[in-house]
Amino acid sequence: MSGWMAVVMLAAQAMPPDVVKHAQAGMAAQKEGRYGDAVREFTRVAELAPGLAAAFVNLGNAHMLNGDHAAAVAPLRRSLELNPALIGAAQMLGVALLTSGHAAEAIPHLERTGTTGPLGIALYQAGRLPEAIARLSAALAAQPDDPDLLYYLGRASGQLSKSSYDALQASDPGSARALQLDGETHVALRKLPEAEKAYLAALRLRPATPGVRLLLGEVYATQGEWEKAAAEFKAESRVRPGDAESAYRLGHALLELGRVKEARTELTRAAGLARGMPETLYDLGKAASLDGDAAAAVRHWEELLGVEKQSALALQAYFGLAAMYRKLGQGAKADAALVEYRRLKAPRAP
Amino acid sequence: MMTGVRRQATLWIPILCAAQTVGPGFSVGLPPGIAFRHVNSASARKHLIEAMGGGVALLDYNGDGRLDVFLVNSGAIDSGTFRRNEPRHWNRLYRQNRDASFTDVTAAAGLSGAGDGNYGMGVAAADFDNDGDPDLYVTNFGRNVLYRNDAGVFRDITEAAGVAGGGWSASAGFFDYDNDGRLDLLVTRYMDWSLRASKVCGTSIPVYCPPAEFPAVANVLYRNRGDGTFEDRSVASGIAAVKGRGLGVAFADYDSDGFTDIFVANDGMEQFLFHNNGDGTFKERAAEAGAALTGEGKAISGMGAAFADFDNDGRPDVVVTSLSRQKYALWRNAGDGLFEDATLTSGLGAASFIHSGWGVALADFDNDGWKDLLVAQGHVMDNVDQVDSSLASREAPLLAANRRGRFERRPLAAGAVAGRGLAVGDLNNDGYLDAVMGVLGGAPVVMTNKGSGSGWLTLELRGGKSNRDGVGARVAVNGQHQTGGAAGSYLSSNDKRIHFGVGAAKTLRVEIRWPSGAVQTMEDVRTNQILRVEEP
Repeated sequence: MSGWMAVVMLAAQAMPPDVVKHAQAGMAAQKEGRYGDAVREFTRVAELAPGLAAAFVNLGNAHMLNGDHAAAVAPLRRSLELNPALIGAAQMLGVALLTSGHAAEAIPHLERTGTTGPLGIALYQAGRLPEAIARLSAALAAQPDDPDLLYYLGRASGQLSKSSYDALQASDPGSARALQLDGETHVALRKLPEAEKAYLAALRLRPATPGVRLLLGEVYATQGEWEKAAAEFKAESRVRPGDAESAYRLGHALLELGRVKEARTELTRAAGLARGMPETLYDLGKAASLDGDAAAAVRHWEELLGVEKQSALALQAYFGLAAMYRKLGQGAKADAALVEYRRLKAPRAP
Repeated sequence: MMTGVRRQATLWIPILCAAQTVGPGFSVGLPPGIAFRHVNSASARKHLIEAMGGGVALLDYNGDGRLDVFLVNSGAIDSGTFRRNEPRHWNRLYRQNRDASFTDVTAAAGLSGAGDGNYGMGVAAADFDNDGDPDLYVTNFGRNVLYRNDAGVFRDITEAAGVAGGGWSASAGFFDYDNDGRLDLLVTRYMDWSLRASKVCGTSIPVYCPPAEFPAVANVLYRNRGDGTFEDRSVASGIAAVKGRGLGVAFADYDSDGFTDIFVANDGMEQFLFHNNGDGTFKERAAEAGAALTGEGKAISGMGAAFADFDNDGRPDVVVTSLSRQKYALWRNAGDGLFEDATLTSGLGAASFIHSGWGVALADFDNDGWKDLLVAQGHVMDNVDQVDSSLASREAPLLAANRRGRFERRPLAAGAVAGRGLAVGDLNNDGYLDAVMGVLGGAPVVMTNKGSGSGWLTLELRGGKSNRDGVGARVAVNGQHQTGGAAGSYLSSNDKRIHFGVGAAKTLRVEIRWPSGAVQTMEDVRTNQILRVEEP
């Protein structure tokens, strides 16, 4: 807001002493967090200088700081009537409208000012889901951990997929994709036998439907039926030989079955298809360690730690590395890996 | 010295063929005369203890050459206390008759009642006083009980012996840690819990609280003084230096230094491997040996334990049963005091992924010379299916055949039950190992081996300078290795005789390394016999 303070200060220089006095009192109150007092002072300024756009901007800003976004709308509108070129006022008005539940009205102001995150949220609330997803994704690229953006992107994506799925079920309920969707719904409800039936029905209709065998394999994997899971992942890999996930899932299933050499082959293929995937790198290290190839295990796990150092997979990699370093006669490195393992494992302060 | 050969005809297979379920390897059913039903008194208050019992012992209490069955009951939970006064809450001893039926001899054998205030858990059987008959140690929440067997009648000598313990005891096992010829006793203790401290976990669905909700406790080691009394050496020996949540216990000399070591299966934390220093003390070394956590650095919910050589390399390995999606762990003894996680490469991971295991036996059920795996199963949460429909509180036992060091699941047409304790032994003396499984809140399951046609040898050791049962003796037969003793599994006690499947071999070379240090070798031993061997 410092830019807006500058505007009002410049304007205040040519203003009568009363106006200047109240403007300064308002700014002082605002600085000290006495937003109610700031609202009163800026209201007085607006009364004394009704033609001064900056006075209304400051009043709107004080209302927003005071948590009353609805009250900010009128002075901000007035400021724009007095000076339509005030981009910041338009941005504030857009946010005030959005926050007070007027998403559709907020959109033009936010579009005009290029305020991507709030615009994405406004578009979501206005039901314009594809546009909302695009804006929210763009905003997240700049602010990847913003909880509001993550939340609304999740909501928008979920609603968009639901509406697409509803349309799919309505237009062709007996199609392979509709059956696949049934299966996914059963999985979400943890009804795995029903999910298996739906996926098998989908495959009977279209045996090469991309993705279905992957999902069916995951159902088997969840139930510990690794042979059946491996068969489905292998079939999916035949349908989509360029798909890294299918290759990884196949490698993982083979690893669970203790078929470490075959697992290494598939996991190496997965790593070639999508480089730097932590899950693939962890399993590659594990398969190598079980295959007696300590040097390769170290290589894969060290690569994993180059990608991520704090995750659950990193924890496992440090533990595995300690054993492999020891096997290779590198005691100091083993001790250091164990220290990292224990550090990551220690409960963190809330 | 070979002093006798006995073999009893198979008498009760025809009876069991009429049982309700049949599976490859075993016939499943209850032989006539066993009318036991475990009482656990489950309630909506979800006392964790009601999910944990009970144990089984196979022992020949009257020396007639036939294994008898002892079943541990748990009891009633009333008004904040435990009650055992009704006969349906008692532990039961079933004597095996000549016709393979059983007779309840609980009262005649002096085992009526179980002590109010106790809630029954497990049992260990061994001849602690070297008088030629097996004694019983029953673990409880509350006071444990040592019954001395005097010619087929048991007497409670707990107070005089000084082994009452306290708190929540789980598995127990007799072993000779100082090789003085007298059997000592290790008792695992689960956690610092009481009915008053009990609580219900879960939000929408009430469930048993995980063990981490309660403080860990130390295990107890009693040294046998040889005069009918024991000395608590828990602190002095170093056993109490670490606190855990011990459930299963198994013994073997993993580093071949001549002293028996201890593996304790802990629930939801690192496992314990107590290395016997040979001077009366132990050092917990699971982490440095590589057997505390899985290869991924994860703790498992250790329940039962077996400590035996699964890959015939002469070194005892460790199997620990656990909860579903953890996979039962197999730590392969790689020599030099180190273990490797062989869960996946042995096939055990794939065979156990979805299961929850308790009692466990690594034993050669098809007599092919490789130790197979049998596990009592069932998730600890009686309502687990409401949380995850792929899981079940009642499961059939897991039978996995060992094919040259790799386990392959075998169908076992047993009904789904809440399996807990598991004891293995040759009930009908036909040379094939049978099993009895304790069932939470239900009747036990008796699994009678159908046989495979392969050869076998069963050794009945009689120590002289060593303890009379030969507990801790290391026996090699044609390259296979086993350790003498009845301990292992979960809350249970196996047939003390040492069984070897020998495949098509016609003659055998037997080597026994007695706890006393004596080494005995026998050549050209005939197969298919129960052979009593006395320590030279």
